[in-house]
Amino acid sequence: MAKIVVLGAGISGHVAASHLRRKLSKDHQVVVVSPNSNYQWIPSNIWVGIGRMKSKEILFPLAPLYKKKKIDFIQAKATTFYPEGDATENSPYVLVEHVSENQRGTAEKVTYDYLINATGPKLNFEATEGLIPGKNKTHSVCTYTHADPTWKALKALIEEMKQGKKVKILIGTGHGKATCQGAAFEYILNVEQELRRHKVRDKAEITWISNEYRLGDFGMDGMLLTYGSNTMKSSEMVEMVFEDRNINWILGAGVNKIEDGVAHYENLEGEHKSETFDFAMLIPAFSGHGFKAFDKNNNEITDKLFKGFMLVDADYTSKPYEEWTAQDWPETYQNPSYKNIFAPGIAFAPPHSISKPRKSKNGTEIFPSPPRTGMPSGITAKLVADNIIDTIKKRKNSLDHKGSMANMGAACIASAGFGSFSGNGISITTFPIVPDYKKYPETQGRKLGKTFGEIGLAGHWLKLMLHYVFMYKAKMKPFWWLLPE
Amino acid sequence: MTQRISKSKRFWMQNPVWQFIKFIWLGLKVMLIVAGGHGSTRSKEYQKS
Repeated sequence: MAKIVVLGAGISGHVAASHLRRKLSKDHQVVVVSPNSNYQWIPSNIWVGIGRMKSKEILFPLAPLYKKKKIDFIQAKATTFYPEGDATENSPYVLVEHVSENQRGTAEKVTYDYLINATGPKLNFEATEGLIPGKNKTHSVCTYTHADPTWKALKALIEEMKQGKKVKILIGTGHGKATCQGAAFEYILNVEQELRRHKVRDKAEITWISNEYRLGDFGMDGMLLTYGSNTMKSSEMVEMVFEDRNINWILGAGVNKIEDGVAHYENLEGEHKSETFDFAMLIPAFSGHGFKAFDKNNNEITDKLFKGFMLVDADYTSKPYEEWTAQDWPETYQNPSYKNIFAPGIAFAPPHSISKPRKSKNGTEIFPSPPRTGMPSGITAKLVADNIIDTIKKRKNSLDHKGSMANMGAACIASAGFGSFSGNGISITTFPIVPDYKKYPETQGRKLGKTFGEIGLAGHWLKLMLHYVFMYKAKMKPFWWLLPE
Repeated sequence: MTQRISKSKRFWMQNPVWQFIKFIWLGLKVMLIVAGGHGSTRSKEYQKS
C-alpha cells in the first residue's frame, strides 16, 4: 500500500489527486493537504471582479467531494519538509499546521511514500510597498476573496462616474518581475467593456502598466502568430486592440511603491515616475512559500529542495539568454535529490524566465517571470500522477510520462468582455509555450498554425464553456476524466 | 481613440451565426492543439525531428 500526499488543492493539486484516486485501488491512500476549504476556478475570477459572475459560481467546498471520492483531506498548511524523516520518525514527512476552526494551530507530521508539491505561488504583495488588496485604491482578482471586494469598489466608482466624476483606472503588473499578465489583460478589457455597458466610458482614462518590454509579451517573450490570413506579432495584435478601445499603455515599468492613488515605478531608462489612479488592479509578484527542509539529523537541506520554488529536473546552470535552450525546461518535475518528490504547476522552480531578461539603467530587473498557470499546471500535474501510478503498479521507478513546456501547447482564451451577444474574447494558442528557437528558427521559436490568434464573440463563448466544463471536471462528475486538462 | 478594427470586421466579430461556426472551429482547433500531446525535448526523436 502506498501513501501519496498532495500539497495544495488548486488546479495542479486537484488534478493530481483526482487522477491518482481514479487510477489507484483503494488500498492506496491519497491525501490532500490544503489551507483552503474551497476549490476555485481561478480563470473566472476576472468575471467576479466585474460583477458578472458570483464567487459561489466559481468555487465549491473540497471536503464533501473528497469524502465521497475517498480522498483524505487535511485543511492545513505545509511548513517544513523532512524528506528522510527524523530521529523519531523513519518515514519521510511534511510538518503541517492545521488552519480549520477546531484544530487551528495544531501541528501534525504527515508521512508519505510519494509527495506532490502543488502549493502554487505565494501572492507576494509585500514585495511592493503599499500594494495591499483593498488599500490605497488598489485591488486584486487573484482569488475570489479578492475579486468580490474588487467588484464592490468598481461598482462604487461606476456610480461616481454616473454622477459625472472623471476617473483614472490603472491595470497591469504591480512588480518588476510579476507574471500572469494574461489575467490583467483580461481584466482591463472586461472593465473597459463594462464601462461602455454602463455608458460611462467617456468618464474614464484607462491605462495598462506592465513590466513587459513590448505589448503582448505575456511572460512568453511574445509570439509570432497567424491571425486570419495574416502573420503578425502578438505585440501588434494587442496594440490594435488597445488602440481600438482607447487604452493607454506604459511598458517596461517596475512598480515599486503604492501610495493612496499613486503608483511609483522605475522604467528601463532608469527614470523614477509615478501614475495616479482612482482604481487599480495590479498583479503582485509570485514567490515560493519560504518552506524549510531538514535531513534525518536535523541539518538544514532547504537548498536541496528549493530555490524559491521547488527544484526539479530542469537545467539550472546560469547562462545568458542567447544560450537558453528548450532542453533547459523540466520534463518529469521530479526533485533530483529525492526521487519520490515532485512539483508540477507553479510550484516548480523554472530554470530561467521565458521573456528576455532586462535591467534598468540602475540595475533593477524589469521583465516578466514565466507563467505556468492554467493548462500547463493541469498537464504537468496529470503526468506526475501518471508516473507515480506507473511506479506503484509496475513496482519499479517509471518516468515514461514527460511534458516539457517547450514541447507542449497551451490555449489562452482571454475574455475581452462579458455578454451573450456583446461579449468578446481573444483566443491565442501557442505551441510550444517555451519557444524553441532551434526547432522553429524562422518563426520566433513557435510553430505557426498551432500558434494563432482569433478575436470575436466565439472566444467569449469558448471561455464561458471552459468555465462550466472545468467546474464539471473538478467536481469529478461522471466521465470527468475524459475531458483534457 | 483610433479605430483599428473596421466596422465590417467588427460586424463579423460579433455576428452570432458566423461566430457560432467559429466557436465550433475554435473549440476543435484548441482541443487538437491541447490534446495533440506533449513530451520530451531531450529525446533523440525530438531532437532529430
